[in-house]
Amino acid sequence: MLKKISLFVFIVLMVMTLVSCKKQDATLNIGFSGPMTGDSANYGKLMSQAVQLAIDERNELGGIGGQIKLRMIAEDDEGKVDKANLVIEKLANVDHIVGLVGAVFSSCSLAIAPKCEQAQIVMISPSSTHKLLTSLGKYIFRNVLSDESQAKVFAKYVKDKLGYSKVAILNLKNDYSQGLADDFKTQFESDGGKIIGMESGLQGDKDFKTQLTKLWAKQPDAIFIPGYVNEMAQILQQAKDMGIKTHWLAADGFSNPEIFDLAGDLANGVIFSNSPDESSLGNAKKKDFETKYLSRFKQKPDSFSLNSYDAANILMDAMQFVYNEASPEDQKSANLNPAKIRNYVADLQDYPGVSGKITFLPNRDVQKNVGIFMADHKEFVQQGIYLIKDGQLLEVVE
Amino acid sequence: MLQHLLNGLTVGSIYALVALGYTLVYGILKFINFAHGDVLMIGTYVALMVFKGLKSFIEIPFAFGIAVLAGMLSSALLGVVIERLAYRPLRHAPRLAPLISAIGVSVILSNSAALIFGTKSQRFDMPFNNTPIHCGSLVVTPYQGLILITAFVMMALLHVFIKTTRTGKAMRASSENPLVAELMGVDTDRMIRFTFIWGSALGAIAGILVSLDYKVYPTLGSLIGLKAFIAAVVGGIGNISGAMLGGLLLGVLETYGVAVLGIPVGYKDTVAFVLLIIILLVRPSGLLGSNKRDKV
Amino acid sequence: MSSFILLLGIYFGIYALLALGQNLITGKTGLLSLCQAAFMAIGAYTTAILLSRHPHLSFVYVGVWVILSGAIFGLLIGIPTLRLKGDYLAIASLGFGEIVKNVLLNADTLTGGPMGISLPIKSFDKGLFLGMVWLVVCLVLLGLIQLQRSHWGRGLEAIREDELAAQSVGLNTPLYKGAAFMIGAAISAMAGMLWALYHGSAIPQTFDSTLSIMVLCMVVLGGLGNYYGSLFGTMVIVVISELPRLLGFSAIIPAAVNQILFGIILVSLVILRQKKS
Repeated sequence: MLKKISLFVFIVLMVMTLVSCKKQDATLNIGFSGPMTGDSANYGKLMSQAVQLAIDERNELGGIGGQIKLRMIAEDDEGKVDKANLVIEKLANVDHIVGLVGAVFSSCSLAIAPKCEQAQIVMISPSSTHKLLTSLGKYIFRNVLSDESQAKVFAKYVKDKLGYSKVAILNLKNDYSQGLADDFKTQFESDGGKIIGMESGLQGDKDFKTQLTKLWAKQPDAIFIPGYVNEMAQILQQAKDMGIKTHWLAADGFSNPEIFDLAGDLANGVIFSNSPDESSLGNAKKKDFETKYLSRFKQKPDSFSLNSYDAANILMDAMQFVYNEASPEDQKSANLNPAKIRNYVADLQDYPGVSGKITFLPNRDVQKNVGIFMADHKEFVQQGIYLIKDGQLLEVVE
Repeated sequence: MLQHLLNGLTVGSIYALVALGYTLVYGILKFINFAHGDVLMIGTYVALMVFKGLKSFIEIPFAFGIAVLAGMLSSALLGVVIERLAYRPLRHAPRLAPLISAIGVSVILSNSAALIFGTKSQRFDMPFNNTPIHCGSLVVTPYQGLILITAFVMMALLHVFIKTTRTGKAMRASSENPLVAELMGVDTDRMIRFTFIWGSALGAIAGILVSLDYKVYPTLGSLIGLKAFIAAVVGGIGNISGAMLGGLLLGVLETYGVAVLGIPVGYKDTVAFVLLIIILLVRPSGLLGSNKRDKV
Repeated sequence: MSSFILLLGIYFGIYALLALGQNLITGKTGLLSLCQAAFMAIGAYTTAILLSRHPHLSFVYVGVWVILSGAIFGLLIGIPTLRLKGDYLAIASLGFGEIVKNVLLNADTLTGGPMGISLPIKSFDKGLFLGMVWLVVCLVLLGLIQLQRSHWGRGLEAIREDELAAQSVGLNTPLYKGAAFMIGAAISAMAGMLWALYHGSAIPQTFDSTLSIMVLCMVVLGGLGNYYGSLFGTMVIVVISELPRLLGFSAIIPAAVNQILFGIILVSLVILRQKKS
């Protein structure tokens, strides 16, 4: 038995070596790394579909330079750092990806960033909000609003426009939710507001009654629940059962349309921050994308999918740009200079994406306007588009 | 105070129903069926599909009833099939070998569910109006009532079945000593089938009850599974009343630990597990486990 | 591709350490424990906490602390074993694992909570790190085999075979069992240290009970009580869980199918093994 298995392993290794030696045809690969199985499988699925859509659209137009086709290589990192490391090794060395959309979770993005930097793969994370991420290398970008930039605008909006001065926070113990809660608190308090209570629960928890009881006793004007739809739906339901009537505030995690299945009418009236819909500013791409996505995948995209779609398109624009400048031989063999691709992305300004207008800052973090939305009968209605200028909240019009 | 007790008992009833599945199988096969949580997840999905399909044609309570039956049936069937394919070949293997098989099955089931039913979590709409009823300071939702009543009825049924019917007695005999039972004419294979049928069907009920308040998703089984498994052992693994008691106790401890002791909510699990370890130290064979003496 | 294999070799080595520790506790001494992930977490966080506050500590110094803290926590869970047996011990240890994870997640000031701790160190060269990992594995294996041949090792086996008999011939069984736990935990803590060093971070999600159960699988697959078997079992699990990627079809078929394949291979492997013997 032992011998047989060893033999089997040996054969596997041999086959694999052969596979990896196979000659590359002239396609350009874009990688995707995210959880496709396990508890968070749905996030990875929604986002990889967005990348697939972007790539298929580009291929229909002829691909890069009208001849080189693009391909998405989506790998499952199960949301674990060890798997993410193996994924990036495979994507870099076997598939020779030119750019990566991912990873989804901050922990995985932090783990794979050094490899992307070393292999000169432009990495754009559509969802990792950890502060340190983009400081890990010149090739590491993100086009999701960092916790800080989102929470800053939202805290000011809550204080100035909604006029709430006593807010309670119920967050989850994960880096995304905790980051938002902390940044919201800092900003809100520095503007003279009061955070009168902060409680937390675990991701996957079903019972938030204890925390709600504690927070409700302090009579807040509103409760801020940055988190994911499953837990937020649960919180709304239990608050209703307990007779709590207050205003609810949330963050971009709320933008997943699943919330309407899970929370039904309880979602109505919840106000949250997200990537803006800039159709009023002459950028109608968001609606268009959502329609295409829905008709193809029979599911509505969440805000991270919008970011994934933009990330893929930015990468492909960069490839096209570098291709145009490349020598005929390089064009033929699809040999694009990674440093030039990276520079194109780094210099990107006011790119009209489906998640709003995108500019990369010198620290490779994204600068975007923030949209404030209210959920209303299965629709997210935008209340306004905002940005912070000189410490002041500004509404963006025209 | 009473409110916390009630909330705890509701959570605990669910654990208890699932714990029974572990304990029944353990009693007779002496191994931990790690795939139990996933079997009940499949049953829950089947019930959800049937319910969604039927609710626009017939009255909702009937549709729900049929859905629950379908869920129980499919879980039971699945349990039997898994036993036949993945566990029976290992009946005489070293004690821990079936554990690997069970983990393999668990991976297969949860990922098959993701493939068939999708990764998106789905809501199981309450088949009744869930307006809370206030009795003095106590708030009871009809949903909590349903859980408590169902759990109680199912446990009573199982109890009666085990204690009074011929099959029940044979099941007990097999779990006491399979070899002797077989010599006395008990068909062990049949008994094992029965334990899987009961365990899986009860599990499906628990799965459906949980998802009424939450949602249905492919990894639904693993979380309830772990807690229920712990409950089964604390009650004295292999002991049916023990599993019920263990489940209820775990539910109450979880709710109470935080609410009464004033410990931050994040430490809920720590409180529950520390208490469980203490219980085990005081009663090393679980609350109702038989304390067999080793023979020299 | 070669760096993929190097990386797989690193993970193989780290898991192998966990499996060796588990085998000492479960295979040699007969104690069914399910908290290797927790011991690993102790090692990883000890490393992370020390290095994030004093970045210039030498790895040897950190290693000593890691082994010590692993051993202390091993003793902590070892004490209940004086009273608990079989599956009851398994549950107590599983509970211990959950407690450790829960505390890591909530003790924000010490552990960084859900964000974990990032280490101020440069990433390692894969070849070098692979050598380092396997050096540790070899040393541990050597030590364990020496232990097995010693008076001590025979004492442990006596406990596994018949605890009462062992006691009646004057063996101090609590001492032996406690020591087995301490050594097993220290080995796993070293695995945790290597993990934290390689990833440059320690985050709570890594150390969940699924990992502990997988480690037990590796040991059972390789044969209880057989150290080389544990290495072999670890290799089998690592290879089949990465099989789709190794064969290059991971991105072509749906991810769930990859996992299902893993499950099917696992089940058939145990059943085939049983049929052969």
